[in-house]
Amino acid sequence: MSAGLVTLIRRALVAVLTGMAAAAVIRLRGRQRAVPPQTGGWRELDDGELTGDEASAGPG
Amino acid sequence: MRVAVFGAGATGARIARKLATSAEVEQVSVHDPDSQRLEWVVSSLGPTAAAAESPAFEGEADAVVVATPSGTQLDIAAQAVDAGATVVTTTADPGETRALLALDRRARSRRSAVVVGAGYMPGLSCLLARFAAAELDQVDEIHVAKAGTGGPACARQHHRSLSGMAVDWRDGEWIRRPGGSGRELCWFPDPVSGRDCYRAALPDALLLVPAFPGVSRVTARLAATRRDRFTAPLPMLRPPHPEGGVGAVRVEIRGRLGPERKVVVLGSCAQPAAAASAVAAAAVLHARACQSEPGARGLAAIEQPRVLLAAMADQGLRPSRFEGFATFT
Repeated sequence: MSAGLVTLIRRALVAVLTGMAAAAVIRLRGRQRAVPPQTGGWRELDDGELTGDEASAGPG
Repeated sequence: MRVAVFGAGATGARIARKLATSAEVEQVSVHDPDSQRLEWVVSSLGPTAAAAESPAFEGEADAVVVATPSGTQLDIAAQAVDAGATVVTTTADPGETRALLALDRRARSRRSAVVVGAGYMPGLSCLLARFAAAELDQVDEIHVAKAGTGGPACARQHHRSLSGMAVDWRDGEWIRRPGGSGRELCWFPDPVSGRDCYRAALPDALLLVPAFPGVSRVTARLAATRRDRFTAPLPMLRPPHPEGGVGAVRVEIRGRLGPERKVVVLGSCAQPAAAASAVAAAAVLHARACQSEPGARGLAAIEQPRVLLAAMADQGLRPSRFEGFATFT
């Protein structure tokens, strides 16, 4: 096997292993880029909404 | 009413406690293979509760709640169906859910009502879907997600489900995709807030699709960390915690109201084991009180979700609504 081919294989292996290591780090640690909803929010349902009594139901 | 509760874990013990303090229940017999835990749980429940030695149902009750680990509930449920009892199961295993739903014909012939998947998710998620659907003329899509785990059995099921195959419903077909794929950022009620959720082997679509004829998409996702996904194919590296922290469920329904497209998002934030026990206990009381139709189905098929949701709200499990979506034509 020629020296050039050995170098090529060695470089390919290094590239693959480096890529795998980077993928593992990203998969484990992640990239936190979450943006919360900019409008609206959570509201507990009131008794009127749960029982279907429109008179005492809240907004929405 | 006499009730037998199978499983005295984080969820089962709470179910037994809720039923033992209910005015409608005369006697609760609790079954668990761990005699020490069984004795400890029963001694804390008062005179209405009794420990049962047998691992099988022997016809001693009018209703049976099966809260053993997911994957071990089918045999007990089948025994209870044969005895004509009302059965409530808490399974979160898709294969077992299919098998329990397949008891339908047998349950009808024995005049037994079987509630499949009466926990946090599935369970409360199915109820919220039914409740939200009442606000729409037509339901097109249902997307549910869950964060958090209850007791050790729930944590093991969470771990297994991330390495299993997810089952989604899309345009009239079941689609199988690997668990841990399909990352989606879901916003749960505070304090859980935003979590990355992934496909997983969850039974929700199996329970929701039959209850919503004409629905075109149903998906279920599970909140997980990247470490959860990375280690999902391996055995659990550490023993699971005895009780998880605060969890949440989120149900998003998309459909049509008149000419408008509308999105309804409901959720709940609670300790999963406590919430699952509230759902299961309310389901068994409701099924007996309303003399539910014989057959096997999930809570999404219930006709009066408001009654159950109001009963759970009285126990502190109150759903929330996300407001802020605009309707669009």
